[in-house]
Amino acid sequence: MPWTEVVLIYGVIPLAVFLLLALLTVLPGRGRDKTHYRPGRPWDHEPVWYEPHPDASGVHAGGPSLGNGDHGRPGLGATAAALTIGEQPHGAADTGGPRRTAAGGARGTW
Amino acid sequence: MTTGSSVMTQHGTGEESAGSGSGTQDSIESVFDEAQYGPIAFRDLARIDEGLTMASRETGLWFTLYLGDLGSDTRGTAESLHARSGPDPSHSVLVALSPGQRVLEIVTGTAAARRLPDRACALAVLSMTGRLSSGDLVGAIVNGLRQLSDSAGHPSRRH
Repeated sequence: MPWTEVVLIYGVIPLAVFLLLALLTVLPGRGRDKTHYRPGRPWDHEPVWYEPHPDASGVHAGGPSLGNGDHGRPGLGATAAALTIGEQPHGAADTGGPRRTAAGGARGTW
Repeated sequence: MTTGSSVMTQHGTGEESAGSGSGTQDSIESVFDEAQYGPIAFRDLARIDEGLTMASRETGLWFTLYLGDLGSDTRGTAESLHARSGPDPSHSVLVALSPGQRVLEIVTGTAAARRLPDRACALAVLSMTGRLSSGDLVGAIVNGLRQLSDSAGHPSRRH
């Protein structure tokens, strides 16, 4: 057996199989992780506030009054539901001052 | 309100950001794949949207998610945000996440706190911070919402 054939069979073919498997492993996962977040990195995006779909049936305080403005826009998902800070989202009664509504919750750091 | 930050209103369609990268012949699929609107990819945004909507639908509470800086007084900022969340803040649950500060705050209203005690919130925070510390932002949000809605259960039909 000439040495080129030996190299071909014992070197090139295993290498080709290895590369094929490596490609099959690496390629499908590429570009999946678009939401880049690494702990410790600064987060310099604009603040966003997401709400559920207003037509989520059974939401206690929801109702037909939510259908106004941009909140009823179909097909945009959570993007349609973000609000500006300071905006009175649902025409809630103006309290005239900061009203404490929080009754509980939890806090965590990582 | 102590923070001077302004929230970006996300009323666009996301096609501006997608169209520039992939030329003129965008199919729906390519928009869906490549659109990156704000900090979160479109695909992940759909998961978060589903999580919020399903949690709200199952529990009857109003779940909202705030993602951004919470200022120096994170709790105070989260509570003042909660006061403006939803049509009835007493039934709303705010999950406020500040990835830059590595702080997570869950704020419940008076009616929501009866369904969702602090212990349940702390448990959800614990599982969320575990995922967040490994960089899984969307997974933490989705699973945290699921855990919160499981803890709150279904609304009683008596009223």
